[in-house]
Amino acid sequence: MTSNTLTRIRNFALLALVQVLIFSQIHLFGYATACVYLIFILKLPRHTSHNELLIWSFLFGLTVDIFGNTPGINAAAATTMGFVRNMILAIFTHKGLPDDFVPGARSIKWGGYIVYSAVCIAIFYSVLFLLELFTTGSIAALFISVTSSTLLTMLFAIVIEFFSYRK
Amino acid sequence: MQTILNFLIKHNHWFLFILLEGISFVLIVSFNNYQSAVMFTSANNMAGNVFETISNVNRYFELKEENNSLVEQNAQLMNEIEALREELAEYKDSTRLAGYMASGRSAKGFRYMSARIVNSSYNRVDNYMTIDKGSVDGLEPEMGVLNDNGVVGIIYQTSDNFSLVIPLLNSKSNINCRVKGTNSHSALHWEDGDARYSYLVDLPRYAVFEKGDTVVTSGYSSIFPAGIPVGAIDNLEDSEDGLFYRARVELFVDFTSIDNVYIIGNDGKKEQDALEKKIIKE
Repeated sequence: MTSNTLTRIRNFALLALVQVLIFSQIHLFGYATACVYLIFILKLPRHTSHNELLIWSFLFGLTVDIFGNTPGINAAAATTMGFVRNMILAIFTHKGLPDDFVPGARSIKWGGYIVYSAVCIAIFYSVLFLLELFTTGSIAALFISVTSSTLLTMLFAIVIEFFSYRK
Repeated sequence: MQTILNFLIKHNHWFLFILLEGISFVLIVSFNNYQSAVMFTSANNMAGNVFETISNVNRYFELKEENNSLVEQNAQLMNEIEALREELAEYKDSTRLAGYMASGRSAKGFRYMSARIVNSSYNRVDNYMTIDKGSVDGLEPEMGVLNDNGVVGIIYQTSDNFSLVIPLLNSKSNINCRVKGTNSHSALHWEDGDARYSYLVDLPRYAVFEKGDTVVTSGYSSIFPAGIPVGAIDNLEDSEDGLFYRARVELFVDFTSIDNVYIIGNDGKKEQDALEKKIIKE
């Protein structure tokens, strides 16, 4: 249990550094920003309690916010995603899976994992860009931002999943 | 009663969700309205140190370019010294009043400090910069930030060792500017998108100026002295209601490759106060 928690904290720190130092600095065409830290929330085991999910999501969002000077925005969006994650994951859960499986291509098949993460990430970005563009943005720009950022993050999620699948 | 309690206990994560979202919204709102949330920005010590380490590594790769620009700047300064010397000599020759005015020029109470940018962005809706000096070094919110080319922005919040700067590339940025050689002035606004341009939105129509004119600070606020270059007028059009001119200003500062900045503090009075207090204490 403790080693499990330590691994989780290590993953959190590593992913946070990669996110704030590399991915948060890149804005493709002014629209798309990849949030690879969401993979951390996607990969938490199935039976992580709601409260635990919410707290991890909130802390991770807040960390990214602090480094990116957007206090509250990532935290709000990530918390929303942590809240709906288990409901979406339930759709892809089938009998024959171990009780506490880690969501991934191995457990819920490639198709399931891709749809599951795409829906979660799209929800995250919808909240994020709604909050960010509340005053200035147009609906069209919002739509482009959400779509392109979701696709970009999905690309990284699939690449990372591919490597962990082969192991 | 029991069923209600059971229901609440079973769904306690709903309350946690609402609580966390509530905290997020408080953060969003308070960052936009008050200057108290410095802990939750990249000007806090931990985030500042991480960015500083990374920018130290990056700087090694830019040393050559940096060197070239320093040499160039050095040459320019030498020229300027020479010109000033000549001017000074002229003043010494002429009346005593002129000499007095010349010496008065450098004692307006504006103080310059150098700082380095450790983190910045230029292509978001609202951009921020973090610099490596903070309240320990005497920096305060509302001080001006410049570099060799012109105005960069204004300090928004300071922690002990770092400060958060609102550069011109932020919708909150609002610096009063004047077209050089005229009296018409207007606030400079940035509209998200391009890091090269900003806009003077309500220049009076009777004002006489044309494309290519230089835009400088007006000196109406105490943050910047008058006459610091900001940019050049690049395009002129009518404002939406047709009552004013809207000028697109090409900024002199290249925000995509900015590194060293100067902080300008107009604290002649404050400094004196602090000194007097210290003497009384001792």
